[in-house]
Amino acid sequence: MEIKLAGVDSFIIYFGNEITKEINDKVKAIFEYLKKLNLDEIIEIVPSYTSIFIRYDLFKCEYKTIKNKVFNIIKEVKEKKNYKSNIIEIDVYYGEEVGFDLQRISKLKNISISEIIKLHTSQIYDVYTIGFLPAFAYLGVVNSKIASPRLETPRKKIPKNSVAIADFQTAIYPLSSPGGWNIIGRTYQNIYDKTYENLSLINFNDKVKFNSISKKEFLSKGGTLES
Amino acid sequence: MELLSLEILNNPIFTTIQDLGRVGFMHTGVSNSGASDEFLFLLANKLLENEYNCSALEISMGSIEIKFHKNTKAVVCGYIEEIYLDDFKVEAFKTFKICKDQTLKIKNIPFGKKVYLSLKDGFILDNILGSSSSSLKEKLGFNDGNKLNKGDILNYNEYEDNYHKKYKGEYFSLVKDEILTLNVLLSYQEDFFNKEEKKKFFNEIYEISNDFNTMACKLKSENPIICEIDGIISEGIAYGSIQIPKDGQPIILLKNRQTIGGYPKIGTVLGIDCFKLSQCASKQKIKFKEINLEQAQEFTKNFYKLFL
Repeated sequence: MEIKLAGVDSFIIYFGNEITKEINDKVKAIFEYLKKLNLDEIIEIVPSYTSIFIRYDLFKCEYKTIKNKVFNIIKEVKEKKNYKSNIIEIDVYYGEEVGFDLQRISKLKNISISEIIKLHTSQIYDVYTIGFLPAFAYLGVVNSKIASPRLETPRKKIPKNSVAIADFQTAIYPLSSPGGWNIIGRTYQNIYDKTYENLSLINFNDKVKFNSISKKEFLSKGGTLES
Repeated sequence: MELLSLEILNNPIFTTIQDLGRVGFMHTGVSNSGASDEFLFLLANKLLENEYNCSALEISMGSIEIKFHKNTKAVVCGYIEEIYLDDFKVEAFKTFKICKDQTLKIKNIPFGKKVYLSLKDGFILDNILGSSSSSLKEKLGFNDGNKLNKGDILNYNEYEDNYHKKYKGEYFSLVKDEILTLNVLLSYQEDFFNKEEKKKFFNEIYEISNDFNTMACKLKSENPIICEIDGIISEGIAYGSIQIPKDGQPIILLKNRQTIGGYPKIGTVLGIDCFKLSQCASKQKIKFKEINLEQAQEFTKNFYKLFL
C-alpha cells in the first residue's frame, strides 16, 4: 500500500499496480467500510481499479491526522468479501441495427454473432470502477474469445444505452457520447436517471448480468433504434 | 407566489447557473461542477449578505439583457465596466436596487472573463445532489444543464431595502501580470518525472491553447515534458491536477473534469489559483511555481476565511 499527495486537500491510496479482481475486491471492501463510517472530515471518496482517492475538509483536520486515521481504518477491514453485492440485470437487444460492431468482432475473433451473444450473457461481471461519464461502469472481465480492441477512430456519437466492449471490459453508455468502444447491442433500461438515489443504476459494489431479449420485447419496453 | 420573476431578453453566448457544485458524488462518475471563479461567486453572496452557496449567474463573453418583474437587490462581481440598469450605469462590486420592470444590461464582457450576477437570497431552483449548478455534460441543472437562452425565466423572492455595500478589498482573481504564476504541489506520479523534466516544467513559460473550457485547460510550449510511463490505471482526479499526456503538453483539470483518468500527473495547481486561471483567455502566459503542502494549506485557509 502506498499513499501519495493528490492536492491541497486530497490524497490517493494505491493497493497495487495491476488490474486484478483481488486488488479490486480489496478496494471495494475498504470503500464500503469508509462510506459507512461517514466520517465528518471526509468530503469525497473515489474508488477505482487499484486505488482510492480521498478529499478531506481542510478546516476539520490535518493531513497527517486524516492520513493516519484512514491508514488505521484500512487495517481493520477484512479483505475478502466484506461488501455486499446486488446483481443488476440488464436486458439487451443484440441486433445488428443497434450493435454496430457485431460483424467487426465476428470477423476479428472468428466467432459467430450468436456465440458472441452467448458469451457476453453467460457471466456475471464485477464493477471495476465508475467514471468517464456519470454512471459509466467499467465491467469485467470479458471472455477472451470476444475481448476486442477499441476502434482506431472513435465514433463521434454513440447512442445512449449502447452496450459495448473494449478489450477485457464491457460497459453501457449512460448518455450519448463520443467513444471508441465496440458496440454490440442496446438496452431500454435507464442507466443514468435523476430519480435514482446516486443517479446511477449500477453502483461500485454491484455486479451486472446481461440478458438477451428480442427486438419485439426491446421495442415494447421503450427501446429505440435511432442511431 | 407570482411565478414570472425575471426574463432573459437576448441570447447570451454562454451563461449558466452555478453554485459551489456537487460534492460527494464523484464515485458515481458525477463531476463537481460549480462556479469557475469561487472568489467572485463567494464575494457576490457576501456583499448581499446571502447564504454563501446561493446560486448565481455565471456569464462568459458578450452581453446579457435581463428584464426583472419584481423588486430585488443585486450585485455584479466581475472585472468589467459596462453594466447598465435601464440607462443608468451601475458599478461592479457594489450592491444596487432593481425595481419591477427595470432591465439590466451587462455588455462587452471580454473573451475569457467570468462575471457573476447574484440576487438577494439567490434564485429558486431545484437542487440535484445538493446543487443547482448547470452541467451540460451530465444534463443536470436548470434546462438540463443547457446555457441560458432568450425567453428563459428564473424565479426569485421579492426583496427590497435601501442598504448597500461596496467591496473595497483586493481583487484576488484579477490577472494583471503578463505572466500568471500558478502555485503547484508535486503530486500523484511526480516520481515518474526525472529531475530535468521537473526543472523544465517549473522554468518553462507556457501559453494557454484554444482547448480551454470548464473541464480542462490545455497549455502549450516548445519543450514538451517527458514522463517515464505512458499511462496509468485510471484513478480519481483532484481539482487542478496537471496531466501530462503523450505529447508532453500539460492539461490542467478543472471543475467539470472527468472523475477518473488514466494520464500521468506531475502535480496539482492550487485550487484557489485555478480561480485566477478561469479569468484568463487563450494566449495568456502561464508559469508554475512549486510550493509545499504547508504553504498550500495556509493560502487556501486564508482565502476561505474571508468568506466564512
